Amino acid sequence: MIEFKNVTFTYSSVNADGTPVQQNGISRLDLTIQDGEFIVLTGRSGCGKTTVTRLINGLIPHYYNGTLSGEVLINGRSIPDTPIFETAKIVGSVFQNPRSQFFNVNTTDEIAFAAENQCRMPLEIKEAITKTAASMQIEKLLDRNIFELSGGEKQIIACAGIHVLSPDIIVLDEPSSNLDNEAIEKLKAVLTDWKALGKTIVIAEHRLYFLRDLADRMLILQDGGIIKKLSADEIKSLSIADTEKMGIRPLTLPEIPYSENCSERQSNLLILENFCFTYKDGKHGIHIPKLELPANRIIALIGRNGAGKSTLARNICGLERKCKGTLTLNGKKLKARDRLHHCYMIMQDVNHQLFTESVRDEVMLSMTDNSMTDELKLQRTAEILAQIDLTEYADTHPMALSGGQKQRTAIASGIASSKPILIFDEPTSGLDFVHMKQVAEQLKKLRDMGKTIFVVTHDNEFILACCDHIVRLENGSAVFISQNPAETEDYQKST
Amino acid sequence: MKFGLAAASQKSILQLDPRTKLCLLIAVSLIMVGGKTVGVEFILRILCAALPFVLLLTVRAFKSALIYVILLGISVFCEGCVIPNLSGTPNLVLMILCGILSRFVPGYMMGWYTVRSTSVSEFITAMDKMHVPYFITIPFSVMFRYFPTLGEEYRSIHDAMKMREIGQSVKNPFTYIEYVLVPIMMSTVRIADELSAASLTKGLCAGGRRTHICEIKIKLYDWLLMFGSMAMIALFFVF
Repeated sequence: MIEFKNVTFTYSSVNADGTPVQQNGISRLDLTIQDGEFIVLTGRSGCGKTTVTRLINGLIPHYYNGTLSGEVLINGRSIPDTPIFETAKIVGSVFQNPRSQFFNVNTTDEIAFAAENQCRMPLEIKEAITKTAASMQIEKLLDRNIFELSGGEKQIIACAGIHVLSPDIIVLDEPSSNLDNEAIEKLKAVLTDWKALGKTIVIAEHRLYFLRDLADRMLILQDGGIIKKLSADEIKSLSIADTEKMGIRPLTLPEIPYSENCSERQSNLLILENFCFTYKDGKHGIHIPKLELPANRIIALIGRNGAGKSTLARNICGLERKCKGTLTLNGKKLKARDRLHHCYMIMQDVNHQLFTESVRDEVMLSMTDNSMTDELKLQRTAEILAQIDLTEYADTHPMALSGGQKQRTAIASGIASSKPILIFDEPTSGLDFVHMKQVAEQLKKLRDMGKTIFVVTHDNEFILACCDHIVRLENGSAVFISQNPAETEDYQKST
Repeated sequence: MKFGLAAASQKSILQLDPRTKLCLLIAVSLIMVGGKTVGVEFILRILCAALPFVLLLTVRAFKSALIYVILLGISVFCEGCVIPNLSGTPNLVLMILCGILSRFVPGYMMGWYTVRSTSVSEFITAMDKMHVPYFITIPFSVMFRYFPTLGEEYRSIHDAMKMREIGQSVKNPFTYIEYVLVPIMMSTVRIADELSAASLTKGLCAGGRRTHICEIKIKLYDWLLMFGSMAMIALFFVF
């Protein structure tokens, strides 16, 4: 049994100016989780759901600093007073970012890692790994280099490591945010298995559809407190309109209604020709002889992990010199090198593309046109920042911004570069409902400015919210191109 | 090219114990850097120069082995045939260059082999068996795991710079370095932070002695090689 008794936690951190600030975690939380319960925590970013998971696995107060009051008890034992390695014996954790939760490079070593730390006998561990691999069907993933696995496979390896130790309580902090639908299905299978074994599971998530049949209780948090509790039956009866009202993501995976006839006949076309590219391993790559797409539209690139979505995006951008393909826009044929001047990609991890000391500098850096005077540049920057609500942060250091603001800063520099094609790589991974909607609106605004937009995404909810066309990739070829009829009227009206 | 510790050691034909590798590394570095080019030490140097080459072949690092042979060949050739015919500044410059190459490259390649052929868990197990405390072992193993991550981060940042056409327009090399370093450090700090949190929840540093599923054993050829390297070091100091 996990008990929270009047728990308040505030993070102490330092802001950009170096002055200490108190950030809200959770306030006056009372919660009892019975053994074997499956609890879903959801709510907007910053609502405190991650804080709850950290209190259970002991990272608060043992790793993250702040002020804590109240009691957190597991089976009557106070977690803040228990050393974290003791807690690790009864609580297993899976984290959001598959890239940064691995200590080893080899998958088998990683699965064994937690068990080795608990001083289990080597033979026993090996046996447990073999059993786990069989029950999770991951024999193929054993003894591999973790850096070669996809995000979904990494997440499954993390689950396998926990399965070997088999703790009574498992907490997961947004495990699905980097996964595609298929990987989420696998994750769901693991969770179902754990639930059947009687584990207590606490999961903080934005994407909820895969938890619909599993959840015993769902708690919606806001500003560090629980604002709504839903029972299993209530969860199942939630309609899209209900979840919309609550500001959370829907509990059913929205089907994307395909319509094969592209009724929209446009003169303004964007043509990809001879897009062939293979990676060094010889297995992965893309093969697209010809693809005609409407310009000035939002085009979703979908498909499984490894189907070539990101590769196509990189090739459109001109980041792969070896690609011989051409892109025709407004009658101009663009080779890889030229495409670098016409395309701008907003990366999944925007931290990689912010270089300067203030948002204003960041936008100005993109104005490479030497004929512009500095004054004109400043004026244009002010305009752009106003367009996407960043004016008040013009002098802030980009790294001091929140995730969404960073993304908008990257978009602002994309607009400033006046490139006609913008590419978004997974812009909504790990975003809550409200922020996802915001990004969708942002994309529509960009379309209205006359940009052609490509979005690499797994997020069906997002596709329905803003994409005009869908290109589906399978094994490196574009197999299905369709219009998103939902975009036209019905869906827009209902939401 | 791959950085960091190997994912798995099965690829290797000859599986050496990490401790043997460490012995060999010490012997090769000592003798190659400090050895004279005459007498017994000359023979020792030839042995030590050949060792990394053979070992690189056993882990199928053919490219590295080739580069090694070429580098060493050039410097030996220059030392033997070119330098005696030169005088003045060119002589001095070439002599220093070749001296550095022939003395440091073998040790470097031996280190490269050690890193390439040892997995993180083998490293930790070996260190543990030598009773090296965790506060030394753990940071080292994290460091090795970190190189591939750094590579990934650098590639993304490089792409971003290309796309924003920063690389070409920045004339000042310091600005360029700043543009690369700032995002790398930012993401490094974040990843390190998350990695530490994840390791803690997996019970790292639980106090007691960890167990190891990875089996390392000192076999016969390990003993032979260890004695060999000890003998070489002894000879090196005697003569």
